[in-house]
Amino acid sequence: MPIAKSERLMNLALCLMNTRRPLSKRELRDSIEAYQEAAESGTEDSFNRMFERDKDDLRELGLVIDVEENPLDGESGYLARRDRNRLPEISLDAEEAAALSLAAGVWRQARLAGAASGALHKLRAAGVLVEAAESPTALEPRIPAREAAFEPLLAAARDRRPVTFGYRKSGASAAEPRVVEPWALECWHGHWYLAGWDRDRKDVRVFRLSRITDRVKVRGGAFTADVPDHVDVRQHVARFAGEGATATARIRLRRGAAFPLRTKALSVGAVDPDWDELEVPYGHGLAADLTAFGAAVCVLAPAELRADVIARLRAVAAVPSAATPSAATEGAAL
Amino acid sequence: MSNAIDQTRRMLSLVTYLRERPGARVGDVARAFGITERELVGDLNVLPMCGTSFRGGDLLDIDTDGERIWWHNPDDVAQPLRLASDEAISLLVAARAVAGLPGLRERDRTALTRAVAKLEAAAGDAAEGSARVGVTFEAEGSVFADVDRALTERRRLWMRYYSSGRGEMTEREVDPIRLVSEGHTYLEGWCRLSEDRRMFRLDRVADIQVLDVPSDPPPLELRDLSDGLVRPAADDPQVVLEVGPAGRWVTEYYGHEESLELPDGGLRITLRTPDPAGLVQLALRLGADGRITAPAELAERARATAAAALSLYADDGQAAGQHDGQADGRAADDPAEGRG
Repeated sequence: MPIAKSERLMNLALCLMNTRRPLSKRELRDSIEAYQEAAESGTEDSFNRMFERDKDDLRELGLVIDVEENPLDGESGYLARRDRNRLPEISLDAEEAAALSLAAGVWRQARLAGAASGALHKLRAAGVLVEAAESPTALEPRIPAREAAFEPLLAAARDRRPVTFGYRKSGASAAEPRVVEPWALECWHGHWYLAGWDRDRKDVRVFRLSRITDRVKVRGGAFTADVPDHVDVRQHVARFAGEGATATARIRLRRGAAFPLRTKALSVGAVDPDWDELEVPYGHGLAADLTAFGAAVCVLAPAELRADVIARLRAVAAVPSAATPSAATEGAAL
Repeated sequence: MSNAIDQTRRMLSLVTYLRERPGARVGDVARAFGITERELVGDLNVLPMCGTSFRGGDLLDIDTDGERIWWHNPDDVAQPLRLASDEAISLLVAARAVAGLPGLRERDRTALTRAVAKLEAAAGDAAEGSARVGVTFEAEGSVFADVDRALTERRRLWMRYYSSGRGEMTEREVDPIRLVSEGHTYLEGWCRLSEDRRMFRLDRVADIQVLDVPSDPPPLELRDLSDGLVRPAADDPQVVLEVGPAGRWVTEYYGHEESLELPDGGLRITLRTPDPAGLVQLALRLGADGRITAPAELAERARATAAAALSLYADDGQAAGQHDGQADGRAADDPAEGRG
């Protein structure tokens, strides 16, 4: 049975942490059974590839591995210096520990959930994290990241590496290739967005991760545009979602109906026993929001909003309910 | 192979942990690391194969009698390790997000803020990049505190709740089960009105009271929410929609069984919902960008609702301009919602 990868990684980590002088690749191969096996049963090449991958994995796990020349033979060697790998002094009181434990549990994404609990394990092993008596709140906050693009973009933003991906703009039928320098990721309303420099458009763009249509590929080379100190992804997205509206609209609302609209109202006044008149912020997307409430809403002003809502309603009202062929087929299929 | 990564990550901390706690109990260690005893024993089977050289017998002499764990040759290699960048980022981003959670108790918020500052200092370079990731939970703080209190004190809630499917206010009593935040904040509770468990979106609670009645939900198993908070049942009614390119966003907001590409760049989307009437709203929102194609009664209902709404504008006659198709579909109103 081949030796498990975790055992191999653990051995490499222990060798590198335990040495005070750089160890050559050959020395490491001689000390670690899994490498012996790989070198004997495979080629030199397959061992080399395995060794490079393992070093990368350990670095991802936080180990600082230095590469130095051995003064005796000039061969390069590897070591993980203790002073560079030690957790600095840190102490947390019980409340802070409980709060951090709650926070560590929020990720609903395998990689980050693993990383967050890994961080807690390190703190706990170091004696920094005392057992929390109880959770500070009954709330379970959750951060989802189901989009496949999330992990590669996170790594690329961290390492400042340009990426390419296919992207289907809202409303577009086909995807287009994009070359982007990823700056920041933001989760808003449960969806992830990327802000970055779009090289072809030579401007800042925000992308919704769920609209990335293929694998994110990392490109060689460095960023070409300056990364701003602060990237406000949320503000950009919010503008499109109708927040940050500058104008207002006047609407009538049937009493008791369309509660979500009422919560946004700037003012409410009764018109008669059945209807109220409201003033609401008028931003991107309001026409669709209003149309969704059907006969519970009547737009008074501005005129272009009223016309937009009427046009939308007409589009729905004009659709023959059962006369179209596709409706008939689907109906029969049920 | 991510399993091997997670296991290695854990074992590196495990040796540090065990060095400080000779004779640690298997149950305690498993709990501290959030794993099963079986998983821990798996780790303990690997560790004795690890060391600085397999030839020289320089291996970790760690064993267990099934109850306690002993390390017979502990050495100083097991020092507490610095945080990896993904560890620092994941914890800092999560901590900042939770600290910004509306309705969080002030004491917990300040504790988190303190912890974040200490963690940033301890993580050093590894924390770099954490400022590049942000998570915002929605501001639904006004009723949050009452729900949180009802859960902690195990008491029943009365609420006036806007049912999106029916488009009207309802009054009901609810035994709270848990409070979940994912984009929006939801209360999962046992609804005494419908005698069933329901997800309530807190921003649709118009009025709330913590009752002087103990909460008494029937014994329930907590559902696994990893595929999303609201999942239709297999026997829920099926609905088919056809959308144009500008209506493709529907698949991003609605869990669906199938979505097929259409020749015009649109999609045919098949989904199940406990509450098909709620999709009339979606059809209206879509306007010219999509329509319900099945069942026929539901399509007709959307059409009739639009016709009824149009009658409110009877004065405008034909004056209403052509629809210019600029609907973007970034629905500001997240359609994920509970049965209720």
